[in-house]
Amino acid sequence: MLPLGEPWKGLVPGGGLRRGSTVRVQAPPGFGGLSLALSLVTESSSRGHWCAVVGVDDPGVVAIADLGVDLRRVLFVPRPRGAWAESAADLLDGVDLLVVRAPSRVSHGVARRLADRVRERGTVLITLCEPNAPWPLPVDLSFDITESQWATSARLDARYLTVRVGGRGEAQRSGEHIVVLPNRRGRAAAG
Amino acid sequence: MERLLALWIETLSEEKPDGSTLRDYLAVLDALTVLCPFTETVRLGLFVLPVRAPSRFFGGEAAVFGAARQSVRDLIGREPSLGVADGLFCAELAAREGVVVPEGGTESFRRSQPISVLGRKDLATTCRRLGLHTVGSFADLAPARVAERFSAPVLQLHRVARGELSELKTQRDATLARRLRTARGEDEVAHEQMGFFGQRGAGDDRAQAAAYRVRQRLGVDAVMVASVRGGRAPEDRASLVPFGSPAPAAVETAPWPGQLRAPAPAMTLRHRVAVRLDDQRGEPVRVGSRGLLSAEPSSLVLSNQARREVVWHAGPWPLVERWWVIDRRRAHLQVVLAAGEAVLLVAELDRWWIVGIYD
Repeated sequence: MLPLGEPWKGLVPGGGLRRGSTVRVQAPPGFGGLSLALSLVTESSSRGHWCAVVGVDDPGVVAIADLGVDLRRVLFVPRPRGAWAESAADLLDGVDLLVVRAPSRVSHGVARRLADRVRERGTVLITLCEPNAPWPLPVDLSFDITESQWATSARLDARYLTVRVGGRGEAQRSGEHIVVLPNRRGRAAAG
Repeated sequence: MERLLALWIETLSEEKPDGSTLRDYLAVLDALTVLCPFTETVRLGLFVLPVRAPSRFFGGEAAVFGAARQSVRDLIGREPSLGVADGLFCAELAAREGVVVPEGGTESFRRSQPISVLGRKDLATTCRRLGLHTVGSFADLAPARVAERFSAPVLQLHRVARGELSELKTQRDATLARRLRTARGEDEVAHEQMGFFGQRGAGDDRAQAAAYRVRQRLGVDAVMVASVRGGRAPEDRASLVPFGSPAPAAVETAPWPGQLRAPAPAMTLRHRVAVRLDDQRGEPVRVGSRGLLSAEPSSLVLSNQARREVVWHAGPWPLVERWWVIDRRRAHLQVVLAAGEAVLLVAELDRWWIVGIYD
């Protein structure tokens, strides 16, 4: 198990990410999918696990640091061009968590091979996708953002995300939750 | 354009095989940095420093020239060639000729230069055949005419000739800063950056090996590592450098006045995207000199003419930076669009750009 931070600890069955599992984060563009995916790695990262982010063109370094990710143990592959799957496979050997945003539609075969690799290496694969280009395989755990609402004062304050947590096995019975991501300090919190 | 003092030291421009050139260059750099902390290394043999502030400090430009000349003479026993003009391009020319262009005289100095100083033989030949022998006569051509006939790099040269750009692209040696750091011994070996309080575990080695594999596959700048440094706006604070490059300076944790507060955008665009911000009547919104918006923004027009409704905005937060040198004025604005996405905009020179997306 890789540990999860607040607020996910209480919302995910087992309170952590099982090694060898595939996790899907699905959101329309601009709805906080990237923040959510990164908030899943914060706790592991601060406990010394390595993670990699593939295919996120322009990572907001400050926001990632504010979330609580330890940047000293994060590798970014912002523009893998056509070789995102190969880079992801390479990185699966070296890191504990891998966040992937595929630049194009993912074929069934590629997804299958990556999932096998993940299971074999005991890594956690977090795939970030949009509803109109979903991950082609069933996943162990899924976070689907259905609504995103900004709370504002004289500036952007916090964003309330409605997240449907689901998946296989015990995770099937999870439900819809509201989380604050990011909050006024740029971190994730329970709603 | 800033008035610059350029020092041209002929003997340091050619590299000797024993590495003495770089050492001498460093020694001169250190001496000049004492005179003015903004001394820049342009390429081997050439330094520039802004002349205004030091001359006020030392009591006149002549005193600065004297001090600079003296320190070069003491260190390497050569006489540097000094020149002063506005902008790097003219400053270098002035230094090679050893002239001090009087204040306000840069324009005519530049115009009187032969066309060959722009550094392109083909352009010089063509221009001479057309009867254009000086930079000035080339500058008088309409930009549209130049664009018709020549390639984009020549158009850049034309802008330099007109005084719209202060320097040629080829003037600076991009690798010099790194070589100087290596020569000083500040360049750390790649793997030291990855350590965690000096301890390295098996996980670190594994991650590093994987990073090298990806780098082999995609090229040296495919794998990046990030750090946060000091600054006001999120796009200034983010540092993303290729894996294996020298370790960034220590992480900045001190409070920074005027910093935009969290939450920061989860994506900060490396190449900011030009947009238009319109008010209700379709007029562009501007940031006035007092840092206020000219009108309430009501829609954001993307480059493909797609119009997105703005439902909420906050700011602007103006930043006036280094007003004594470059007078850079920016203002940040947070905007929420009708669909619920939020973006961070920046206004500069009456134009708007998306710099961050709160994904």
